[in-house]
Amino acid sequence: MNINKEIWIVAEQHQNMIIPVTYQLISKANTIKGDKKVVVILFETSKQTLENLIKNYGPDEIIVIKNDKLLEAPDSLIADLLAQLNHLRKPNSILFGATVVGRSVSPRLQAKLRTGLTADCLDLSFEDDLLIQTKPSYGDNVMCEIVCPNNLPQMATVRPNIFIAKKETKDVVITEIKDLLFKTNNAITVRTETPLLSKSDNLVNASKVIAIGRGIAQKDEIDLAYQLANKLGAKVGVTRPLTDLAQFSVDDQIGQSGSSISPKFLLTLGIHGAAQFTSGIGKSNIIVAVNTNPKAPIFDSADYSYVGDAAEFVKELLKAL
Amino acid sequence: MELHIVVCIKQVPVSNNLKIDPISKNLMRSSEPGMMNPFDQNAIEAALKLKQLYGATVTLLSMGPKNFEITLRQGLAMGADEAILLSSRAFGGADTLATGYVLAQAIKQLSGVNLVFFGRQSIDADTGQVGPIVAEFLSWPQATYVSKIVPINEKIIEATRLLENSEQVLEVKLPAVLTVRSELNDPRYPTPRNIQLSFQKEIKVWDENTLNVDVTRIGMKGSPTVVRKVWTPTKKAKVAQSLGQNAASAVKNLLVTLRDNNII
Repeated sequence: MNINKEIWIVAEQHQNMIIPVTYQLISKANTIKGDKKVVVILFETSKQTLENLIKNYGPDEIIVIKNDKLLEAPDSLIADLLAQLNHLRKPNSILFGATVVGRSVSPRLQAKLRTGLTADCLDLSFEDDLLIQTKPSYGDNVMCEIVCPNNLPQMATVRPNIFIAKKETKDVVITEIKDLLFKTNNAITVRTETPLLSKSDNLVNASKVIAIGRGIAQKDEIDLAYQLANKLGAKVGVTRPLTDLAQFSVDDQIGQSGSSISPKFLLTLGIHGAAQFTSGIGKSNIIVAVNTNPKAPIFDSADYSYVGDAAEFVKELLKAL
Repeated sequence: MELHIVVCIKQVPVSNNLKIDPISKNLMRSSEPGMMNPFDQNAIEAALKLKQLYGATVTLLSMGPKNFEITLRQGLAMGADEAILLSSRAFGGADTLATGYVLAQAIKQLSGVNLVFFGRQSIDADTGQVGPIVAEFLSWPQATYVSKIVPINEKIIEATRLLENSEQVLEVKLPAVLTVRSELNDPRYPTPRNIQLSFQKEIKVWDENTLNVDVTRIGMKGSPTVVRKVWTPTKKAKVAQSLGQNAASAVKNLLVTLRDNNII
């Protein structure tokens, strides 16, 4: 064990699967770790063996806490167990996915440890042992570089799908820690957790996405976009202004304050291409942009362009498919 | 036990199109007064709904400069009973930890608070951290990102929490902290009568002397994080290849490209 020389990644699991951002964080940490060790913290029930999945991404160590009380554990319990682990090992930094759970557990841990926490980072690097955290702010119009120079651990939540997960073969040390204190608290009970066909999840993981903006926002035009999406097997995402329509919410939104997407094919229809939007599409493989304005900044992000009416283009494409 | 609900609210810039001073690298905040963080309106609405059901005192709490009174006044006009502004130079430069600490100390100072609402996050800093930090400092349970509230009785709330691809139903015994999503409700508009009444309500201003705070834990001194650099993102331009001059030829070329890349 090396005091202050470990980068911790708190694994998140749902329905017996590790979520992708955990793997993405392992791969990123492996590239920036320098002389530090990458350690994954895994909470699971006695029957689970998720460490076998995590191993494939090559962290240096996996710390496993197995206990049936971890089935649907409240945020406060996870934060308390992490605080106990922190006192045992004193890591340099603790990273979480910027998911609902990550963004709920990490601030409680931050308050317990009285240290800094940076939300929703888009990039991480080290200067010696100082973690340099890049995060968007002010509706993603501004980027900030944030450090926590005088307190340890340095904590951050990191936006999913910013980094690419890579499998790596390595001898991974697996350590089970058994002597943590599970403080029981009946003030909060997780009654059920039901999987949802969440729209944002589909959008984030989709291999084909049709993104629509103000240039194709009439009801019949939106219907056309959905017809096209059905034919292509694509998911529909929107720009921030369209979330004002009743049928869309922030879960459908692409961009810095919505979701980052990484499809093989992205078709943007009637989207001007503000930086807040285009920052969420950079990982797309092929981007085709359709807009009436030849000077629209969206064309600076696109691989292929068509200058013209988006609805008309969709009608034509529907005919041809 | 009478319900005493605190709603923590924040004033945010009306426009997010902020500029950076090229010399000082500081954010040039617009001179516009700002508006209430939209998610905080859902939080006030949730509190007012419970007040209608069980009777409650609804106290608004905000930390910031004097002009945050505009936002507190708006919350009073929605129907909140009282408002407290935590305002002092000593609170300035606070990050989420120092902000959460001051809010928690203020909540401890108010008598008999048993429920605290927050919006899920502010739309300027976008962290969503202050609610859970306050919950931790109060040692209370939390339900974050709440999309549905079913009150069981005055002491128990069933809250639905929306995760990325699942939904959790939580039973929360008060006292507790809840942070709410916009899906939860439609915030009411202030009625003319409530607007009038809001001007009869005093907005109390508390500072570090009113509150029982450790001065090393407030403001910049109490903030572990430091902003080293601020910039506006630039994007690298690609050169897009034109698909064609009219829709028909563009579609034809697109289909060729998609087939070549095994997309269709």
